[in-house]
Amino acid sequence: MRINPVLQKDLKTKLRGWRAPVLISCYIILLAGVLLLYFSGSSMLNPYYVSGFNPRIAVNAYNLLIVFQFALLFIAVPAITATSISGERERQTLDLMLVTKTHPGKIIIGKIIISIAHTMLLLVSSLPVLGVVFFFGGIGIADIAKLLLFYIFTAFFVASSGVFFSTLFRRNITAIITNYIFLGILTFGPFILFLIRTYIMEATLNYSYNPSYADFLSILFPSPVFGFTSFYFNGGSDYYSSISNLWGSIATHIDSYIAQEKGILRFMKPWIANGMFGIIASILLIISSTAILNPIKRKK
Amino acid sequence: MMVLVENLTKRFKGTLAVDRLCMEIPEGEIYGFVGANGAGKTTTMRIIAGLLAPTSGRVLINGMDISKEPLKVKERIGYMPDFFGVYDDLKVSEYMAFFAGLQGIYGTKCRELTDSLLELVRLTEKKEAYVDTLSRGMKQRLCLARSLIHDPEFLILDEPASGLDPRARVEMKEILKELRSMGKTVLISSHILPELSELCTSIGIIDAGRLVASGSVADIAEKLAQSGLIKIKIAGNEENAVKILMEMPEIGEISSVAGVLEVKVNGGEDIYVRILKTLVANDIPVVSFHPEESSLEAVFMKLTEGGNGNEN
Repeated sequence: MRINPVLQKDLKTKLRGWRAPVLISCYIILLAGVLLLYFSGSSMLNPYYVSGFNPRIAVNAYNLLIVFQFALLFIAVPAITATSISGERERQTLDLMLVTKTHPGKIIIGKIIISIAHTMLLLVSSLPVLGVVFFFGGIGIADIAKLLLFYIFTAFFVASSGVFFSTLFRRNITAIITNYIFLGILTFGPFILFLIRTYIMEATLNYSYNPSYADFLSILFPSPVFGFTSFYFNGGSDYYSSISNLWGSIATHIDSYIAQEKGILRFMKPWIANGMFGIIASILLIISSTAILNPIKRKK
Repeated sequence: MMVLVENLTKRFKGTLAVDRLCMEIPEGEIYGFVGANGAGKTTTMRIIAGLLAPTSGRVLINGMDISKEPLKVKERIGYMPDFFGVYDDLKVSEYMAFFAGLQGIYGTKCRELTDSLLELVRLTEKKEAYVDTLSRGMKQRLCLARSLIHDPEFLILDEPASGLDPRARVEMKEILKELRSMGKTVLISSHILPELSELCTSIGIIDAGRLVASGSVADIAEKLAQSGLIKIKIAGNEENAVKILMEMPEIGEISSVAGVLEVKVNGGEDIYVRILKTLVANDIPVVSFHPEESSLEAVFMKLTEGGNGNEN
């Protein structure tokens, strides 16, 4: 099997030299630092377990780490992908690629895979840090595997959107900013819509509105944060988590709604719904990017 | 016919970059594409290379329409733009391997092709050097090697000698001569017209998006010789000479520069003979009689006189 030449070239240029190992090292040190601070902070803040062992702390630390990684995915992937095509254009190498017999779609796929590979490299290299929580129990390998799968879905979607904007705009900076705005709207927009809808329904039904899981799902499914609620591990409330865990309260709230479902929606967990949306949206974005990049169809 | 361009028109937001351009390039021809900045050369070449869709008209490469079979046509085209397009963080051999991969060439064949092409462009000793360490001329030659990696039948070279120092230009010219001997069909654009006249078998002159002349270098030069300039040096009796010349219907303007009459003539060599005979017959002491040769540069200037190309 031949490796996509775009992927091969980008792997070579991105991983060559000192930048990649330094970046990975910094990331792991940062992650380990966050974990260390959390453990020490929890012990210091918790008046009942100053020197004792509390397994909840590990689960909450795990929650904190995966949120941190999820945020990284949203920050790093657009920065890599939103310059992938516009960067080639600025370097004046895009025409040279398009004049070959390689289909524009293959160029797009190569650019998406490289950014996913780059992100996965960071995530996989951080597994030893994440693995610290295994000492305390409560989280299994299957949970981590499921989480990684969701990260791949999300990275695929975020990368596809990045490449799309990179294809659409000629300048790197415009592509990056637009991509962040797009992802911001997609992440938080559904929650704002849901709040507006809830407000209107409560006003109409005189505060007797009780939304079902279907109501949540129908509006929130495009938001990666909604999908991510599936991965919250309820380690019980300790002093530290109760003062900071907004995500935990949303996740617990949604979980209770899923529990009330008896039909097929019971199996349509937030991460599955959002993952499916991500895959379909990614395919559409790739098709659009290919059409824009195709020189014969391009007017400028 | 290797290249057939039919009524090619390209409009950018109301600006007409290429206007009903027709062009034919037979196989094995080195076709020089001459025009001022913004005349439409690059736009035309980008359309022919399949990098831009025309507003109307079509381009056939070896009988295949580029808009209908783009990938098949691209297998036959090598394109070198008027910029380098290099990755500074790749080595020369890696740069070649990348573009070979994009053309579906891998492994041993890729290495062999890379070696032979680097030898052709005289970059063998730079094979393991990083691209950013190459000089401008070397980068240009590397780009040429890149455009040849899939052994295309037809090469499009947009200003290959622009920005190069005289030595690099000579080297580039030598490589182009080798390409000619290899039987490649080449479409080449340049501002350095004398170099084109030496290298090309035919030329096309574009002005404001229109092809104003096309044919062999000799044909075009001869066509323009029909409205040539003669420099006549006389030892005296200048007033009488001017009077005699003015009476001849083929004579256009006459001016006197430092004792030399510059006479604009509408006609070919037979008219030149008659002018000289008339002057001698009227006892005008002619010291020298020198019809100006129409260089490609002069042809270009004449054909694009008053032209007002649009930027593209």
